[in-house]
Amino acid sequence: MTAAAVSLGIALLAGCSGPQAAVGDERVEGGTIVYGHLQEPPCIFGGWVQQAYLSRQVLDSLVSLEDDGTVVPWLATDWTVSEDQRTWTFTLRDDVSFTDGTPLDAQAVSDNFEYWLDGGNGTVQAYLADYYESSRAVDATTLEVTLSAPYSPLLSVLSQGYFGIQSPTALARGNEANCEQPVGTGPFTVAAWKRGESVTFERNDDYNSAPANARHDGPAYVEGIEWRFLPDSTTRYGSLVSGETDVIYDVPSIEWATASEQFEVQRYITPGRPVALSFNTVEGPFVDERVRQAFAFASDRRAIVETVFRGAVPFEGNGSVSQGTSNYNAEVAAAYPYDPNRAAELLDAAGWSETDASGYRTKDGETLEIVIPYGAGSILTQEGSAVLQAIQQQVKDVGFKVTLIPVTQSELFGGAYSQPDERDIYVGYWTSPTAAILHINYRHHLPESPNGANSTFYNDDELLALIEGANGTTEPSEQERLYAEAQQLISDRAVAVGLYTQTTSLAVGPQLRDVWLEASQGEPVFHDAYFVQ
Amino acid sequence: MTGSAVDEQPLKRRVGNGVLPRVLGRLASAVLVLFAAASATFFAQALLPGDRATLLLNQRTGQTEARSDEELAPIRAEYGFDDPILVQYADYLGGLLSGRLGVSYQMHQPVEALIAEQIPATLLLTVTALAVAWVLTLVWTIATTRRSSRIDAIGSGVETVAAGLPPYWLGVILLVVFALGLGWFPVIGGSEAARLVLPALTLGIPLAGFMGQATRAAFERALEQPFVTSARMRGMSDLGVRVRHVLRHAALPGITLSGWALGSLISGAVIVETIFARPGIGRVLVSAVNSRDLPVVGGIVIVVALVYVVVNLLVDLAYSGVDPRLATE
Amino acid sequence: MTATAAPPLSRTRRTPSPTLLLSLLVVAFFLAAAIIPGVLATHDPLQFDLVAALQSPSLSHLAGTDEAGRDLYSRIIFGTRESLSIGLGATALSLAIALVLGVAAGLGGRVVDAIVSRSLDVLFAFPMLLVALLFVAAFGPSPATLVLAVGIGTAPGYARMIRGQVLAVCTSPYVEAAHAVGHSSWRVLRQHIVPNAVRPLVAVATLSIGQSIVWASGLSFLGLGVAPPSPEWGALLDAGRAYMTHAWWLEVLPGLAIVLLALAVTTIGRHLQQRLEGHRA
Repeated sequence: MTAAAVSLGIALLAGCSGPQAAVGDERVEGGTIVYGHLQEPPCIFGGWVQQAYLSRQVLDSLVSLEDDGTVVPWLATDWTVSEDQRTWTFTLRDDVSFTDGTPLDAQAVSDNFEYWLDGGNGTVQAYLADYYESSRAVDATTLEVTLSAPYSPLLSVLSQGYFGIQSPTALARGNEANCEQPVGTGPFTVAAWKRGESVTFERNDDYNSAPANARHDGPAYVEGIEWRFLPDSTTRYGSLVSGETDVIYDVPSIEWATASEQFEVQRYITPGRPVALSFNTVEGPFVDERVRQAFAFASDRRAIVETVFRGAVPFEGNGSVSQGTSNYNAEVAAAYPYDPNRAAELLDAAGWSETDASGYRTKDGETLEIVIPYGAGSILTQEGSAVLQAIQQQVKDVGFKVTLIPVTQSELFGGAYSQPDERDIYVGYWTSPTAAILHINYRHHLPESPNGANSTFYNDDELLALIEGANGTTEPSEQERLYAEAQQLISDRAVAVGLYTQTTSLAVGPQLRDVWLEASQGEPVFHDAYFVQ
Repeated sequence: MTGSAVDEQPLKRRVGNGVLPRVLGRLASAVLVLFAAASATFFAQALLPGDRATLLLNQRTGQTEARSDEELAPIRAEYGFDDPILVQYADYLGGLLSGRLGVSYQMHQPVEALIAEQIPATLLLTVTALAVAWVLTLVWTIATTRRSSRIDAIGSGVETVAAGLPPYWLGVILLVVFALGLGWFPVIGGSEAARLVLPALTLGIPLAGFMGQATRAAFERALEQPFVTSARMRGMSDLGVRVRHVLRHAALPGITLSGWALGSLISGAVIVETIFARPGIGRVLVSAVNSRDLPVVGGIVIVVALVYVVVNLLVDLAYSGVDPRLATE
Repeated sequence: MTATAAPPLSRTRRTPSPTLLLSLLVVAFFLAAAIIPGVLATHDPLQFDLVAALQSPSLSHLAGTDEAGRDLYSRIIFGTRESLSIGLGATALSLAIALVLGVAAGLGGRVVDAIVSRSLDVLFAFPMLLVALLFVAAFGPSPATLVLAVGIGTAPGYARMIRGQVLAVCTSPYVEAAHAVGHSSWRVLRQHIVPNAVRPLVAVATLSIGQSIVWASGLSFLGLGVAPPSPEWGALLDAGRAYMTHAWWLEVLPGLAIVLLALAVTTIGRHLQQRLEGHRA
């Protein structure tokens, strides 16, 4: 293959915009949506966001989340909370059945709570294990959930795909069947899973339980979804251009500009913790707050992110809560602009005032070395790795010696680099629809009750009091104030600083309309989608 | 992916052995190969650094954090990770002996079913790629060997380039030019003919380069044999001589290489499977190793070893068929 | 290059061909790049230049720039050392293992031969990809892991070849003659068997260097190799893939570097093979 031949291919590629015949606005009945997705999880239901994408197609949840953060009815039509904030009562719909014929009632939902917290879903455990006490069916349509302490974010937490309600009859089938074919009340059912290739969903013709924020009730317009797994981004985007797929997930940054012109693109800024630098506050140079602040000042994070992502992903300066989350503190995002002089002053003040032959700062003969392990290709995309490399280059001017250690997904999941003596900075995000993510990430990490999700190992009573106060109040303005103060405190003490928002996107071909991204986790919703000609 | 040129003849050393001892010997060594492969897999998976229970739990929740013993206890108990390693090994071998490959830790599916689901796509791809490689090799060798020094040089030059092409690079370029650019082929791979062309070429072209190099040398030697001269003297056309007489002898190294190529198919297929989004056993293997899913890794290794053993038996047979002299040896 | 008999040479060119000269030139260039990259490169391979991202090849950036504005030509030059070291290291490891196993099997009698041959069978049956995956899982992705994985993965093929060669040399008239005139076994091994069994390996080794680089870059492509920001060629290819449709140079040019080097080394290897076999004939 010669370079000339390749250039020819590129030229042709640039010249054609795919076989897109002009389409009108006339709705076509039926059809099967071919959707190209990035990653394939080992099971359809589970506690990983990749599983929520799939299970959202077959399972309905109790409530649904609007884009503005309001919670609206879904399987639950109404709910109340007791005076002491510890007993939640949900009223369920009485006309809904699972696709295996089992009726949806309060006992079924209670069984799901028990199943999740009994190890059926580790992410549910991360949210609720500290709060959930019990649940019971008062009558067929009334469910009572008792908590051990007030937890005001409960409703938005419940809107996530992890909390999809499954048929108790189906749950009793055991792991093998539940992994491949969870049964819910949702708009589609799992017809087949060809591993490594696709999951085929079929329409549930009796569907009558769309959430209040859906665009129509009743069965889906299309007959089914062919959910293809296309891990390579060139292939995935190419398949949309060639018309082999109708809609794809995760438009590559490099194609973002073209895709915006040729297709309907949607961008979802994941709420929860953004992709951030979480400093190790108990060991190494970052024990000193001034060194953490110096590192934050030492690189132009905004410019780096904007260049590397070519505008497809926004910069996020807030290191604890992303701009897609309600109760986000926007002021925090502007802290620590690029200011190398300031960084140098802080380092001098912290005693890192000598420099060695390579220009790195030293203190008592020790080099200012920062170890950053990162999940290359898993937690961080290729662009994310490039952002870290740019930071590595830039902070060198101030005298930080950064060592980047790429870590495989398997090592990460195996718990590598999870201890305080193994890293100085943790890079990662955590998807969550509420600022209550702060409780997961900043609950104290203690020998008797370890919290592995506390990636800064930062135990601060003042901070925890703010977060627990916010979690415990239902007064919106008070809650907003407390969450905002918590973020402010994390920023002031430079416990974590932000890089960019975890961002997902969809590109939809012109033949397909009304695909939308739900608000809690950005799962694509195909129930309202239809083809036009 | 093609590795180094493995260009040795099957062992034909112990002349005079009967057929039965030879078959028995083959079987014994096949069993040994399977046993050793399974054992190596077990110990590699069990003894790798990192806690398996933590890995399983973290993967199920999509998190990457340290876990407490309390969280891990149920998982350790479920899979017997607490047992002494030799007990686990005995359990594993016991399972294999009773014909069960086990159930995937991650996918909760019987491993037999998983492999049965994935292997047809991989076999289809590699057999097609091998066929493509053979066609390219034969046509190219017959057409360019010993024509003139220039054609000869071009012929072997092209082979060298083909053999040195990184398959994934070739795959990406074929994809971008012929599927994305020219639109001649679909972008997503699959089992229909049109979807198989680019993946098969990606694997087949470098392989053809290797087989071509081996075949050309044998072809040159065969052209110098007396029977070629006599055939020419009988008035046979040049093409006739090349196809009917010379090829038969020149094909031997290619056949050996084919056995090797099919045996190492997993390694090469995974790249093509990734680029062209094809299902297949290579991708399953990569994700199973990453999640330390021992039953799946072990099952795949055993199946691949089996394929290797069977294919090499077939290569032996093919050898005897193509060159009768070897059968009587 | 079969194990039992060396192909008789058709034509032995005595004057160096232009192809050979060109190959020598290419290899010399890459050797220089590996030893003194700073002289050949035009930029710092790690230096970001955010305003110059994704520029096509030009006089100021001979091979264009990547997504962070780093100069691709300089990255390829600086990546040569790592890629070449991986190729040489894996080849050396592979041949060393192969030599020990092959000579042991060829000379060690039936029992040793049987043990080594069965072990080789096992190694052959073990997918090389799995060997690599396990090494990466154990030691993390790094150049050393690549050398180990590729070296061990390719060793069985060479071991078999050497074994066949040793067997062939052992039964050859001149070795029998050497024994007959009363030379010690050690001396026969040292003076006759090893040199004759190893001679064809010189050519194979050069072929293997190219192949090892290709293999190692394949592992990098699967995310199992050398990680960015290192400009190792496989890592460059992996990084360039995503930009292929908009910045072809990021994928095509590092690939060409691999092909060019593999081709040149192979051509030289062929030539050496011809020379050596010509001598023996």
